[in-house]
Amino acid sequence: MKFLALASLIAVACQPAYGLWPQPKSAETGTTTLKLSPVFTITVSGPGVPNDVWDAVFRTEAALNKDKLGRLVVGRGSSDTASFAKAKTLSKLTLSLEKGAKWTSITSEAQKAPEDRDEAYQLTIPSDGSAATLTANSTLGLYRGLTTFGQLWYEHSGTTYTVDAPVKIADAPAYPYRGFMLDTARNYFPVADIKRTLNAMSMVKLNQFHWHVVDSQSFPLEIPGFTDLAAKGAYEPSKIYTPDDVKDIVDYAGARGIDVMVEIDTPGHTAIIAEAHPEYIACPGATPWATYANEPPAGQLRFADAHVTKYIGDLFSSATKMFPSTMFSTGGDELNTNCYGIDEPTQANLNSTGRTLEQALDDFTQSTHKVLEDSGKTPVVWEEMVLAHNVTLSVDTKVLVWISSANVKAVAESGHKLIHAASDYFYLDCGHGAWVGDFPTGNSWCDPFKSWQLSYSFDPVANLTADEAKLVLGGQHLLWTEQSSSENLDDTVWPRAASSAELFWTGPGGNVSTALPRLHDVAYRMRQRGIKAIALQPEWCALRPGVCDLTA
Amino acid sequence: MSTGDSPSILKLSSDLDIHVRFANPPPDLRAAIMRTQSRLFSDSFQPLVLGRGSADTDQLKNAPALVSLELMLVSGRPARSIVEETNVAIEAKSEAYSLSLRDGNNSAILSANSTLGLFRGLATFEQLWYDYQGIKYTLNGDMKIDDEPAFPYRGFSFDTARNFYPVSDILRTLDAMSWVKLSVLYWHIIDSQSFPLEVKAFPELSEKGAYSANEIYTEDDVQLIVQYANERGIDVVMELDSPGHTTAIGAAHPEHIACASKSPWSKYASEPPAGQLRIASPTTLAFAKTFFASVASNLPGKMMSSGGDEVNLLCWEEDDETQADLAQRNITISDALNQFVETVQGVIAAHDKTPFIKSDMVLTHNVPVLNDTVVVVWQTSEDAAAVAERQLRFIHQPSNYFYLDCGAGDWLGNNIAGNSWCDPFKTWQRAYSFNPYANLTLEQRPLVLGGQMPLWSEQSSSENLDSIIWPRLAAAAEVFWTGATLPDGTSRLGKNATSGTRALARLNELRYRLVDRGVKAIALQPKWCVLRPGECDLDS
Repeated sequence: MKFLALASLIAVACQPAYGLWPQPKSAETGTTTLKLSPVFTITVSGPGVPNDVWDAVFRTEAALNKDKLGRLVVGRGSSDTASFAKAKTLSKLTLSLEKGAKWTSITSEAQKAPEDRDEAYQLTIPSDGSAATLTANSTLGLYRGLTTFGQLWYEHSGTTYTVDAPVKIADAPAYPYRGFMLDTARNYFPVADIKRTLNAMSMVKLNQFHWHVVDSQSFPLEIPGFTDLAAKGAYEPSKIYTPDDVKDIVDYAGARGIDVMVEIDTPGHTAIIAEAHPEYIACPGATPWATYANEPPAGQLRFADAHVTKYIGDLFSSATKMFPSTMFSTGGDELNTNCYGIDEPTQANLNSTGRTLEQALDDFTQSTHKVLEDSGKTPVVWEEMVLAHNVTLSVDTKVLVWISSANVKAVAESGHKLIHAASDYFYLDCGHGAWVGDFPTGNSWCDPFKSWQLSYSFDPVANLTADEAKLVLGGQHLLWTEQSSSENLDDTVWPRAASSAELFWTGPGGNVSTALPRLHDVAYRMRQRGIKAIALQPEWCALRPGVCDLTA
Repeated sequence: MSTGDSPSILKLSSDLDIHVRFANPPPDLRAAIMRTQSRLFSDSFQPLVLGRGSADTDQLKNAPALVSLELMLVSGRPARSIVEETNVAIEAKSEAYSLSLRDGNNSAILSANSTLGLFRGLATFEQLWYDYQGIKYTLNGDMKIDDEPAFPYRGFSFDTARNFYPVSDILRTLDAMSWVKLSVLYWHIIDSQSFPLEVKAFPELSEKGAYSANEIYTEDDVQLIVQYANERGIDVVMELDSPGHTTAIGAAHPEHIACASKSPWSKYASEPPAGQLRIASPTTLAFAKTFFASVASNLPGKMMSSGGDEVNLLCWEEDDETQADLAQRNITISDALNQFVETVQGVIAAHDKTPFIKSDMVLTHNVPVLNDTVVVVWQTSEDAAAVAERQLRFIHQPSNYFYLDCGAGDWLGNNIAGNSWCDPFKTWQRAYSFNPYANLTLEQRPLVLGGQMPLWSEQSSSENLDSIIWPRLAAAAEVFWTGATLPDGTSRLGKNATSGTRALARLNELRYRLVDRGVKAIALQPKWCVLRPGECDLDS
């Protein structure tokens, strides 16, 4: 007990380990320098270790050699060299599963329903050079622990070392859904961009890639049996995600502890389907677009039409086979009723069947969601499906709250599990002016820019009762790409998306002043790994924690 | 400009010859021609229409091919190099040119009074061609252009001190600048946070004040950058910001810096760290003189800036050394400031350069300056008229139109709800709407030399350089090149100026050309809109 008390006293007295992002649930770190042996190895004990665990081990070892991150202090670590002579050397990290746990792949653990994911781990690094240990109940937990381990090391004059030994971490996430959404339809992103983004996501323990793959502007997804949609609706033949590309992305994500939830947004945001099937789309290209859609081009599925309902059900059925996730988003945002008002086939259909538009929407939603549920998927929808429309959703349906954080309470009151994606906190695209033409003084609809500090300050359970709080699965940053493309992907997303990664892993209430040096650290490490995270401050400030605070 | 009545398709012959029709073309012009020749065929930009040019294939089969571009100097004077033409005084630059694509015999003619004008014409020529399956062609084969800039000073101000940028970033930026005919790199090379400039007289300044040994612009680097810029028609104005924004000098010479890193920083500086030159100290004044002379003597340009923004009087009031110097010399701080500016401007003038200064030195501190001083108007566009009233020449760099760094939240720590001081983000439309003659009398108009967009780098670095400046910077390039009137005689800022069929269509095209050449310019719209000019206008 005496030793433990002393150890925790040290942890309190010293500066925190700046490399850790997200902050672990519980971490005791010291101030002893520990070097990494040139022959350092990670060993895995147990029979039948899956390939993706070995791959993660090899990637971790490679990163330890390649990161070569100079510590973010004046001199970039030159003042640490004095401690190298006396420092002990770590030559081994041992990974093991806790008793009774089975060696299943990281991928299969990551692709479980959020509620079933086990990401907890324990990491111990003694300062005397004896072996470090990493234990968990699942390979996914081991993977998170490897990520943490990789954040502790710096390099100076050929020596890889930490200044935070000894380390004792017991960690688990506050929320099981920690995501990032990318829109690949307004502008296209090459597969390499998505993989690099997944890599960056894994560095901060994000576990959910929400892929808004198609929209009214382009249809870059090749779906078996429905290949005409991409053939006619992609920007170019070279800008199509083939089934092989999708498998490549899903596997790459899985190996990094990330599940891929696809979104095929319906019945709005579908104008591009008209390129292949004009008979399925109401008000295609109707003008003025502002009357018939939230952005150009106008055009929505004729959901009252039974043929369209069957078509989308079949399309969903085929798409579910491409994405092993338990979740599948059917979108449902920004449905425009004016569009159907001028669409004669829809009006004729409603008249002949004696249904209102809302009733037809209910039929469409129930029918297409049933296809998902029959395929073992849980539907995920945008908030309007609960708050603006009178449709029947299964109790399992998960809801993305996007319009405003003020709507969280109402969604929670509906009893559905919810995911935070509020535009007033998490939209990465806000604040860069209007993208529509001939609007010289226009702003983005979700002005202003959402700074990392703002996202970080979000309270996931604000105004919720204790029972309602249990419905919160987590949250995500989102990038809508009207004004983004391959050229600015990294710098628009990173390191801002890391702020929600910590919010939903560590839980709310973090302090932006103490978070900033750690956010610098992870951003600098991202740059070492080829991710073009932007500078949050002049380097002068990054090397002097707190000195550039507002009131310093 | 005229483009003929109907589309006139014209191909580039694959063995196009760019031929100089005058004696002794200077090597930098020949190099520029080689670059143009190479880009004409390496560019793979396709027209931004549905089908990306596939509709033009039938016409292309029988289209005439341009076999030569003839470059002519009309002055009759011996050709001077682009570098020499670029380094003449700002008011004496000769950038006009004429380009005619169909001058008979399938040759085009580019003529100008100077090699610099020819260089501008080559930039225009490069913008005319689309690619379709390897064929380079234009739909404006009858184009005739007579062109010259409305303003000689069209710049980009670049802060390489808050965060460092590798030389290759600067060279790539210079290339992109030349493609939109910008004429000046205003290089804010040092500041309080770091001192990345190697100074011959004081090598210790960068040795101790740079972020690292790898983050220094050596004398060779500076020469390389200036030469590279000059060969591309871009003048370099080095800014040695002083007496504020100089804390980093204290790393090597603490004796010259008052209130170094004094806390709370917000009392003593506009941003951390606090620290300013001890302007009352004769030793510091001597240091500044040698420092400016050492830098100026290695620069070929005719312009140089001593900065001068955001000096903080409290910093000097509380500095014992400064107070002792003032008392001993029996002068006020304002005398000392005047003397400091007089001294550094004197050094600049002695090196045959026009001094630049930031507007608050003149407007806030009423510091007397040399008559030929060029004032950088930065705080707000409203200040332009006040500077004009003092009969000083100036350039526009107002934060409320041109600052590229605004609108990304506060970079200071521990300020959750903080915004950038110059919120909101300055859109390309905002920059494009700038009127260089607003609130000026006709008599005052000649005082306007031009303008520039600056990038302050608190929240920028190599990672986002291209995407934060391109294509927005091109909006200002057009403001100051094209002026108030478009080639068709209509007002540049007339009805629907920023429509997807007008400026936005051309800016979209430029953006795709930049990306094609490896400059990471951002998307202004979904590609769906780009391919359908005007269909994504607000009211379409």
